[in-house]
Amino acid sequence: MILSIELVVGAALLYVLLLVMVAFYADRRRAEGRSVTSNPYIYVLSIAIYLTTWTYYGSVGRAATTGLDFSLIYLGPTLTAFSWWFLLRKIIRISKENNITSIADFISSRYGKSQWLGALITFITIVGIMPYIALQLKAVSSTFDIICGYPYIQLPFMHGNYPFSIHTSFFAAFFFSIFGVIFGARRLSSSERHEGLVAAIAVESILKLVAFICVGIYVTYGLFDGFGDIFSRLAAKGETLGHLTTFGEAGETSYSNWFSMICLSMGAIILLPRQFHIMVIENSNEEHIKKAMWMFPAYMFLINMFVMPIALGGILYTGDVLGADYFVLTLPLKSGHSWLALLAFLGGFSAAAGMVMVESVAISTMFLNHLLMPIVVRFRPKAWFPMMLINLKRLGIFLVVFLGYTYQQIVGETYMLVNIGLISFAAVIQFAPALIGGLYWRRGNKSGAITGIILGFSVWFYTLLLPSLVKSGWWQSRILEDGPFGIGILKPTELFGLSGIDIWTNALFWSLLLNIGGYLACSIILPQHELEKEQVRKFVDVFALDRKDSPWEVKRFSKPVTIMQFVNLMTKFIGEHQAHTSISDYMGDREIDEKGGVSEFELPNLKRFVEKTLAGSVGAAAAGAIVESYLSDVGSKMESVYDIYSKVRADLNESSENLFVRLRASEIMNRTLDLQIIMDDLLDLVRREFKFDLVIIRLISDQNMLVVKSYRGEHMPGIIDRNATPEINTYLGDAFLGNRSSFLNDTENNSKPESREMLAREGIKSFAHIPIAREGEAPLGVLSVFSRTIIGQFTPPFLNLLASLAGQLAQAIRIDAEIRAKDKERLEKELAQLENARVLRDMEIAKQIQLSLLPDNPPDIPGVQFACRCIPAAHVGGDYYDFFPKKRSVDIVIADVSGHSVGAALIMAETRAVLRAEVRSKNSPQDILTALNDLLHDDLDRAELFITMFYVTYETATRRLSYANAGHNQPLLFRQGKSSCLELDAEGLILGIHRKVEFEEKEIQLAQGDILLLYTDGITEAQNDAGELYGMGRLCNLLEEIHVETAEKILEGVLRDVARYAKSITLQDDISIVVVKML
Amino acid sequence: MWLKLKLLVLKRLRLRESWVIFFILGMIMMNYPFITIFNKPLKAYNIPLLFIYLQIGWLVSIFVIYLYTKAIELPEDKDDGGEDH
Repeated sequence: MILSIELVVGAALLYVLLLVMVAFYADRRRAEGRSVTSNPYIYVLSIAIYLTTWTYYGSVGRAATTGLDFSLIYLGPTLTAFSWWFLLRKIIRISKENNITSIADFISSRYGKSQWLGALITFITIVGIMPYIALQLKAVSSTFDIICGYPYIQLPFMHGNYPFSIHTSFFAAFFFSIFGVIFGARRLSSSERHEGLVAAIAVESILKLVAFICVGIYVTYGLFDGFGDIFSRLAAKGETLGHLTTFGEAGETSYSNWFSMICLSMGAIILLPRQFHIMVIENSNEEHIKKAMWMFPAYMFLINMFVMPIALGGILYTGDVLGADYFVLTLPLKSGHSWLALLAFLGGFSAAAGMVMVESVAISTMFLNHLLMPIVVRFRPKAWFPMMLINLKRLGIFLVVFLGYTYQQIVGETYMLVNIGLISFAAVIQFAPALIGGLYWRRGNKSGAITGIILGFSVWFYTLLLPSLVKSGWWQSRILEDGPFGIGILKPTELFGLSGIDIWTNALFWSLLLNIGGYLACSIILPQHELEKEQVRKFVDVFALDRKDSPWEVKRFSKPVTIMQFVNLMTKFIGEHQAHTSISDYMGDREIDEKGGVSEFELPNLKRFVEKTLAGSVGAAAAGAIVESYLSDVGSKMESVYDIYSKVRADLNESSENLFVRLRASEIMNRTLDLQIIMDDLLDLVRREFKFDLVIIRLISDQNMLVVKSYRGEHMPGIIDRNATPEINTYLGDAFLGNRSSFLNDTENNSKPESREMLAREGIKSFAHIPIAREGEAPLGVLSVFSRTIIGQFTPPFLNLLASLAGQLAQAIRIDAEIRAKDKERLEKELAQLENARVLRDMEIAKQIQLSLLPDNPPDIPGVQFACRCIPAAHVGGDYYDFFPKKRSVDIVIADVSGHSVGAALIMAETRAVLRAEVRSKNSPQDILTALNDLLHDDLDRAELFITMFYVTYETATRRLSYANAGHNQPLLFRQGKSSCLELDAEGLILGIHRKVEFEEKEIQLAQGDILLLYTDGITEAQNDAGELYGMGRLCNLLEEIHVETAEKILEGVLRDVARYAKSITLQDDISIVVVKML
Repeated sequence: MWLKLKLLVLKRLRLRESWVIFFILGMIMMNYPFITIFNKPLKAYNIPLLFIYLQIGWLVSIFVIYLYTKAIELPEDKDDGGEDH
């Protein structure tokens, strides 16, 4: 029974239409941000792309010929599923972080983004997968022929001169290529997920599973009566079941072959380009791996469950193993179930279509990125590059599919399906050592990977591909029997005389032995390049990488590149829209300086980002080459940061050298307190350790100038003689005012013309100004370092180190300033004390002099008794009294100069001198006061002092008392027999107020027992605790009480009474008192 | 009791060693010489022994992997001795 071509083609087209709709739906949902494919079940179904027509048809074929070993192709991947959570997850994480586009990109990225390695892997993949694609095309065309009953019988007009089967597979190839372009190459970016493609694959996986199980159930339970029935019938029929249900014979079913098959399939599940693409590139979430780990083996179990019944059923039903490859299709067809046959055909068509689409997309990506891009990057980027690249990729898809088509046409029918698939498996397993080693072995290097893969591939070609070509009759040779040039030991299928094993084991053993051997040997013997080392970290330590802990940049740009330059570069490869979108994503909240650039330390990150973005479209190796060549075009390049410590360091933060310098600096600080020595020694240290040509310390002066305090190195007048006020538009001022390190790693890039000229004159290549400041405080100065030879030495860790030295210096300066301030304070205190002592001594002397100016003893005059006393309040005072004995009289004067200063004492001395002179020439108190006022007025006026004075002339013979008063306290006169005191008063102004003053002179007759008490205001104005004055009344009463006593006793009584009254309160004013008692 | 046992099993499965052991165990059980135990022209219920062995072994593997994925999902536990994934 056959089906009509219209029905089959129509059903196939309807099915394709369904796939297209599903794909567009998925793409639209993705655009809306509601992905339908981003879930673990779709992920599992898409991984099922592993099961191609090779499984769908070939498993049955193999089961029918060699038996149970067909299941090994699926048991191997089941075993590896144990490792997915570690291995696959690691690969996915690395790929996502580095925008990996394919397995070639992955491996070449790991080995220093090697273009050679990428190209090699791509080449091997194309050669190795070509048979596999051919297999799919062959399956589609064969099944089409079978289901339509060899259509050229139906449609002879289309037949022409060629068998129609050529047309069938040609159309299949053509359609598959179109699908590939539609689903997989609409955009250039290959690291992006293709949701439409994945959705279509998922639908296909469902269909092929359903179709196969339907056929399986039909054969097992429709044609036969279950598993047991099939096995027993076969046994009953006398067929030798043994070789199908057991194994272990020499050759195809040997134990070694069994082992090789498991190994091959274990490698294939991840290493086949389409598997890598679906499992890694199209993975949307690492969590999906968990479900896939057990669900994918379950899927394989289900689809394989009925392989054995179909195979054996087919043998029973047809009586032959010929055509066993197509039992899935022929059994329903022959038993008259055309719809089931159509379903089976569509299932096989699904299996082929999915595989060819994804494989061609994956390989065309590799083809573009690793074979074409190395050539493209040699040309200057043009605006039409994005368009050209995407079309090249589409072309690649056609190329890959039609290479398979060509292979199918040439090699054709020789091997059964399973064998063709195994050739491809054996090709891709050559990537395993480089891939696994690259993930876990740090030392694995590019030379090792290239050597291993070349060796492995050569052996594969010689032991597997060549025999397949020979066996197909494409190349007539006796090489398989006799070896090349008759050298038997080099026979491809028994290489180096290793006979007795099957060709798979032979190929696998020798290829992997040489591959791994070459990889290990070269990796151990040869060194890794700088770039490789960087990549090793990204791969091996992908889970340990913490961005915060990432080591400091060890590379810098010799000439800064702006963001716009990078954007323009990206535009030329991935189009303007995408370039702008990605750069704005990247910039985010990053700091941009005034010129629209990023900081020098940010630039390498930006470069990496640009590389990564480009890598998503053209692969890491090409992206690296594009950026490098662009940089060299603009005259910039990545240079190694100058190594201050003469050895490679991953992390400078706490290197031993760093600690050494800090330690030495601390020693310098602690050795002395002399700031100048500290500064000099510190500069010596910095200059010696870091090979600077000039180092300077400038400190801010009181006049707000940055003054050079110390420098070491060559005398460069232009730099050293610069004591300037800090201004923000200079590097120096920026460091000081901004309190941040201001530096230039290459003075070629100096944007400040003024300093540019000066630095050029001195030949300075790089410099840095470090503010001398303690943490969180304003700077005290600037530490400047200059180099004439080294470019690019100022890295964040180095600047941090210099800043830490500057911080220590700031501490020393602060301590120095504190010590100075304390010294000054102490000195001032000492001076003040000294001054005070001197003044005290002077005052004491003054006091002695002053007291000596007062009469030692009152004059001895008959009939009169005198007593006098002066008690100064301060050391010197302004009180004065005196006696001037004359022939018939005696003059008594008491005076008080305002204030208690030395000035008052001097005025008092002058008054005494003047008075002594005047007393001789003048007789009346009135005249004397008048003259005194006149003489002293100028001096008193100048000194802003004045004098109160009471002047008395007592005539001894007549006991008459004449007196005049210049504003002094009225003396008290106690008259014998009177109960109250008389206050002697006369008109007169205080001396020193006016030049001309009239003084009234009064007279009074004294009698025996009268007591005259002259005093200064210290007595009457003495205060008690309550603040009350002593007053004249109290004095008068006291006189009355003690008037009988001698003058001296009266005086002492008054002083005692006043002292008692004032109690604890110290003497407010000088006290002078003169007592005159008439005897 | 069963819950406790299950938890204990899952915790052990968290260890990286576990999957290596299962992987090696699988390789051993599918290869010479172990497989010769089942590689005999014997039948059980009319079905060849090796066929049954492979099918059952396959199902058991899937189940162990399933348990293993459950173990990964277990919250972090100090009892693991730190040597987890």
